[in-house]
Amino acid sequence: MVIDTLQQEKGPAAGARHRSGNADPLALTHQLCCLCQRNDAEAIAVGEDFEYRTSPDTFAALNCRRCGLVYLSPRPAMSALERIYPPDYHAFQFSAEQFGLAYWVRSWLEARRLLQCCEGLPDDARILDIGCGDGFHIKLFQRYGRPSWNVLGIDASEKAVAAARKSGLVVQHADVQTAALPHESFDLIFLIATIEHVEDPVDVLLSVRKLLKPGGRVVIVTDNTGTADFRLFSRRHWGGYHFPRHWNLFNESSLRQLAAISSMQVTRIETIVSPVNWVYSIRNWLVDRHAPNWLIEQFSLKTPITLGAFTVINNLFQLIGKGALLRATFTRPQ
Amino acid sequence: MTDKPVAIIGAGIAGLTAANCLRHQGVPILLFEAGDKIAGMAQSYADEDGFTYDFGAHFITNRLAAAIGIGSKCRDVKYYGESVSVRGRNYTYPFGLMSVPRFVASAVKAKFSRSGETKTAAEYFRRTYGRTLADEVALPILEAWSGAPGDQLAPSVGNKFSHSVAYTLYLSMLSRWKGLAVSSGYCRAIAENPQVWHVYPEGGMAGVCNKLAEPIQDAVRLRSPVEKIIVENDQVVAVRAKGVDHKVSAVVSTAPCPMLPKLVSGTDRLKPLEAFRYRPMIFVNLRLKGRGILPDTVLWMPERKFPFFRLTETTQSMPWLAPAGKTIITCDIGCEVNDAHWRMSDEQLAALCLENVSKLYPEVSENYLGCRVMKTPFAYPVFLQAYEEQRVRFERSTGIDNLMSIGRNGEFAHILMEDIYWSTLKKMQTLVDRLRQLEPAQDVQDGAPSCEKEFADELVTG
Repeated sequence: MVIDTLQQEKGPAAGARHRSGNADPLALTHQLCCLCQRNDAEAIAVGEDFEYRTSPDTFAALNCRRCGLVYLSPRPAMSALERIYPPDYHAFQFSAEQFGLAYWVRSWLEARRLLQCCEGLPDDARILDIGCGDGFHIKLFQRYGRPSWNVLGIDASEKAVAAARKSGLVVQHADVQTAALPHESFDLIFLIATIEHVEDPVDVLLSVRKLLKPGGRVVIVTDNTGTADFRLFSRRHWGGYHFPRHWNLFNESSLRQLAAISSMQVTRIETIVSPVNWVYSIRNWLVDRHAPNWLIEQFSLKTPITLGAFTVINNLFQLIGKGALLRATFTRPQ
Repeated sequence: MTDKPVAIIGAGIAGLTAANCLRHQGVPILLFEAGDKIAGMAQSYADEDGFTYDFGAHFITNRLAAAIGIGSKCRDVKYYGESVSVRGRNYTYPFGLMSVPRFVASAVKAKFSRSGETKTAAEYFRRTYGRTLADEVALPILEAWSGAPGDQLAPSVGNKFSHSVAYTLYLSMLSRWKGLAVSSGYCRAIAENPQVWHVYPEGGMAGVCNKLAEPIQDAVRLRSPVEKIIVENDQVVAVRAKGVDHKVSAVVSTAPCPMLPKLVSGTDRLKPLEAFRYRPMIFVNLRLKGRGILPDTVLWMPERKFPFFRLTETTQSMPWLAPAGKTIITCDIGCEVNDAHWRMSDEQLAALCLENVSKLYPEVSENYLGCRVMKTPFAYPVFLQAYEEQRVRFERSTGIDNLMSIGRNGEFAHILMEDIYWSTLKKMQTLVDRLRQLEPAQDVQDGAPSCEKEFADELVTG
């Protein structure tokens, strides 16, 4: 992983540890809460790019006092996206070769989850995966979905689109607001691990609403701030912060407000199991404490034992409705 | 929302924070600064020999740095500690004092006999810490700091000490374990925790101000002291600067609040503020050869035989503030404008401080390299019982709907950098809401911070 190749400076004079060549601070922009359009928030965390070390900046996660949204402000300007998503970013290269057993287990679990969301879809259903990354979910549809379904993917990252196309998938390089897609043409749209990365979730949902057929659904899967792992690590190391790439983080209440602002009906909000935020919270803590690399490497997307252990732990939390991820289904009213 | 700008008076940290917050939400602003540069009390000064002197706060927290966007320009402060010098011995603050049996005995006695209302700061400290600790340590420091006896000061001055003993001990242990100066007692607006520690920004506090000034340069009017704030029907309607009246929707002042009654015309609602007093201070910076002269970054000097009540060796926390092998000891002298100390020349003050510091640390005399003296008539608010009622009322509102008084001097409170930033943001949001004529926030979420109630109160009382 990155930490191996990181050329750590010995005691940098100022700022966070960063890769060589990334010493310049990023251009940052200040934000209001995207749901309330107000600046009434409490700083709940300070962190840095523990995973990819793309800049010497430090970042504050703010918690809106009115709606409970957790958002990054200041955050990298859109012009800095290339830098904060480096070529070795995991979403560009999640493959069986790289990730082994973790890849196969996740594929199996994710396929089951995807198909659950597709219940009741017609044979000629049109499905869109926004923020498709390297096309992981599109491939699952190809393997496990009905062959008659028409599945498209879009991603705003050129690197992600290149990775998907390399696998022979047809995906558009666009964001949902500007994509050349016909309105009212989709039965089901997925935003899987995407809404937390976008600049303006409300704007994205309004665009999604336009693309959906009346009665069509959008499924949002995102990190859940209403969890034990968040409470435990929320001051700095929580994996879900993914500093500085997760810009808006939700709990059930703020997701409902997102639906209301976007004129969507909430069909269902539930939590689902994921070990990733537990594993990465511990990893970030170890990295911050300058733990030895062999120990840090026990906590990553490539370590089936720790992933398995925290899957079991998160299953226990799931029993009380506190799974690590939120899965929301919103419907466009008829 | 109205097209008229909000006038902000003063381009220090509070004024610049307010300007950013309002600009960010689309409120037009005009920022009037009397001086010829920004940064107010937060200015740093670096001399030719490589010594840096900060006028005001020496450090901020990593949380404030990240919130402003200057984390990449800040160095971590690895250590910060305070000690107290009593009868020639030094005790770490606060736990070292617990090794003194007479202090412990009186504190335990106070703990079990605490009852009734405390009417003065003297009573508050005696009941909280015990008579011996209060009389030998807390009250002499408070009195030197305030320039008034403890029985004339309000008990609210003690509110500054916010954490429980257990939490202070927890933060202190974590600080030692992490090798970082974890913030303890430096922010009340939002809770401190072990992940919040002190950092020092490149260029000192001016670095903070410069960053805050970047997006609002066009709104800053330097060398433009506000001459008058014009109130009609209990509403600010305009401000006068350089003889020109500017119509405004509101005024946000960072000026020392006792100055407001002189500035405001058209109402006598602010008259009680005239009585509020600030304690003037002299900071004598002694440049010295050597390092680690004091036992800690800060050494409190409660004994009245010394002219200063606090010594600070900033290089123990921020070694980069002086060249290698050299240091600065700052002696804080509480005074009155034009008293004997105030009138002394820099050399006389340096000689006085050297003579007294060398009673404890004889080596300083032979290692003395020079001095830099800074004086301010507005160092610390004096919480006199005589105007406590008015102070509490002022804490809530100036009495004029669209006139806000913010910042260290504007709020008449002993608040530090983070508090200034967060409380200014909060106040500006209430102003924006008022300008937008929004209803106050009522839908408090689960897990909302306790200050939500206070915030809602502020909205209601304005």
